[in-house]
Amino acid sequence: MSGAALQITGVDKFYGAIDRGVHAVKNLSIDIEKGEIIALLGSSGCGKTSTLRMIAGFEEVSRGRIAIDGREVHMLPPVKRNVAMAFEGYSLYPPLTVRENIAFALKASKLPQAKVDEKVGDIARLLEIEDILDRYPSSISGGQQQRASLGRALVRDAALHLLDEPMGQLEPRLRAVLRGRIKHYIKERGLTAILVTHDQTEANALADRIAVMEGGVLLQFDTPQTIKQRPANLFTGAFVGEPPMNVFAATVDFGGDGVVFGLDQGVQLRYAADEFSSAVLGELRGRGKVMLGIRPYAVRRAERGVAAKVAVNQWLGDQTQIATDFAGGTMVLVEHDRVRLAPGEEIGLKLDAGALHVFDAESGQALSHGPELA
Amino acid sequence: MTTLQLQNIVKRFKSHTVLDDLSLEVASGETLVLFGPSGAGKSVLLRLVAGVIEPDKGNVLIDGEDMSDVEPEHRGIGMAFQNFALFPHMDAFQNIATPLEASRSSADKIKEGVARVAKLLRIDHVLTHRPKALSNGQKQRTALARALVGSPPLLLLDDPLRNVDAKLRFEMRLELPRLLAAQGATVVYVTQDYKEAMALGDRIAVMAAGRIRQVGTPEEIYDAPAFVEIARLFGDPTINLLDVAPTAAAGGVAVELSGVRIPLPGVPAAEAVGRDCLIGLRPESLAFVAAGTAGAIPVTIEAETPLNEKTVSLVLTTDGREVLVSRPAGTPAPASGPAHIAFDGTNALLFDKETGRRIARMGEDAGERGEAA
Repeated sequence: MSGAALQITGVDKFYGAIDRGVHAVKNLSIDIEKGEIIALLGSSGCGKTSTLRMIAGFEEVSRGRIAIDGREVHMLPPVKRNVAMAFEGYSLYPPLTVRENIAFALKASKLPQAKVDEKVGDIARLLEIEDILDRYPSSISGGQQQRASLGRALVRDAALHLLDEPMGQLEPRLRAVLRGRIKHYIKERGLTAILVTHDQTEANALADRIAVMEGGVLLQFDTPQTIKQRPANLFTGAFVGEPPMNVFAATVDFGGDGVVFGLDQGVQLRYAADEFSSAVLGELRGRGKVMLGIRPYAVRRAERGVAAKVAVNQWLGDQTQIATDFAGGTMVLVEHDRVRLAPGEEIGLKLDAGALHVFDAESGQALSHGPELA
Repeated sequence: MTTLQLQNIVKRFKSHTVLDDLSLEVASGETLVLFGPSGAGKSVLLRLVAGVIEPDKGNVLIDGEDMSDVEPEHRGIGMAFQNFALFPHMDAFQNIATPLEASRSSADKIKEGVARVAKLLRIDHVLTHRPKALSNGQKQRTALARALVGSPPLLLLDDPLRNVDAKLRFEMRLELPRLLAAQGATVVYVTQDYKEAMALGDRIAVMAAGRIRQVGTPEEIYDAPAFVEIARLFGDPTINLLDVAPTAAAGGVAVELSGVRIPLPGVPAAEAVGRDCLIGLRPESLAFVAAGTAGAIPVTIEAETPLNEKTVSLVLTTDGREVLVSRPAGTPAPASGPAHIAFDGTNALLFDKETGRRIARMGEDAGERGEAA
């Protein structure tokens, strides 16, 4: 990693007149290092695809700057930006076979034919499209077209590789191994890649850093681990992670020498003051209400824990997901092993202070993660 | 409480056999999941039970009674489909009320019935909305409410969560068993999502090409799949399948992976030795171990791809085979470079490559529910 491969600075995107049209991307600034894999993650309409299209040059930048390898490109046409793309709608050339489509991407590199054949063969093997190399795009399935287009992008040398929902149409078996193979391929060659996805599992599997977007705004840009452990706000906390984070509204009280979170139906979660830093205690003091979040894997069973009643127990082969009736809502816990608990059984739950995420009740901004301030 | 029996059902569309001598029994109060790829015949089977189409051969029995001459509306069935199939000109209340209207319930009864299921499904605040003003999740709940409202003893649910987003699908997956239990109905539930199948089914019937390939509890299907195709359909990431040539060993057979000999005790040599086989290793049943551990297979770690609270590693064996290994996130293991993996040979799955059939261990419970090949 050396130097920024991509700098997006103060970028706005309006569809229609500036400041009056639809504001699809709002004052976005991101720097990406060489050799990084970045995911733009969000639900449809969040601005992720508009962002990718502005980087590629398919959309004009309404305001702000985009630089690739230190060179401003936002006024240049796509072909002058040195980016490789696998986009929906940036389709394969119909009159060329899959092999020719992929080889065409190598034309500018002026490699000897034997070298081109070798590279096409390698990427085709990696993507499991060897048997369709001599077919035409119209005669192959959507999933195969997606892989052919991905091959055409990955085979090229470029400053940036832009991948739009690259594995959306693949069957599960292929998706699992392709994630590993593509990540290995990108890392081994030191490529810089930006992928757009609505699927948080895809983003987590592939990306070094994830940019979570919503309503045109960048909510958080960090490593998958940090986003999971220190979500910047309730939206990010609930969006990333499967099953989703458990969220409960709570009141905050300081009784005796500790903190008491009051949930519905009189459920109280009590913690000693020293389980939180004094900064967190200061932040919580004077707040009437907060939102409490805890990830399903962090909820533990404990005999002397807070009472909960098993509502559903679902074993999925590699994990057990248990939904319990808790404080007038549902608390989900997940364990890696097979757990035999029947619906109706009473269990105790332990919510460790270290696993609690506290959010502002109105804005949803994170206040604290475990013992530390957000 | 109601039972359902399908006896030797054959259904052809022109020369194409969609259901091929299919028999199945669903016990009273049971949720049976029909699972399989599209085109397996799952939806046709549901429509036969509903009475919308007729079988060419065989019988549908509800509570032991042959349904051949019973009209669909008299079979006591509630149905919901993946495409919701709501009437666009009616609001949610009217849509839900249709089965009660058809049975000429009183206005009070209708109001009470709709209110009950709407509350259960948390759509009581949108009852005056027409379908186009409802979100996909609300449409799907409305369709479910319509299926439940008449408290039918038999419910047929055709992939009802297919068109809703991942979060809602997860929530509904947790909610549905409670709803169904409260209803006390016998349920046939069609899905293509293995997690839904395992989570909701008391038993799962795996279908392919108009036939039932295996019926069993989620545990039986996952731990002892009758065929290699079934093993492939369950699990995330999917099961590793590696070519092996078993040789005889004390008390069973042994296989060789990357030059390491691993015993599979209890596998009958007569069925495995000299045959091309596939060993099935679930990613979570493989672990990273120290070099020198018995059965340790040398590998190179190619990439690490986190999957929710698991870490999945793609590794390459020294003889060039790709293997996925998963472990709970936070469990220490090398992230790249050379490493060793191992598995427990006593519960690895072994399949005959030619027939796809799993080779059972000696003394295994007669849990073999697959049909004869």
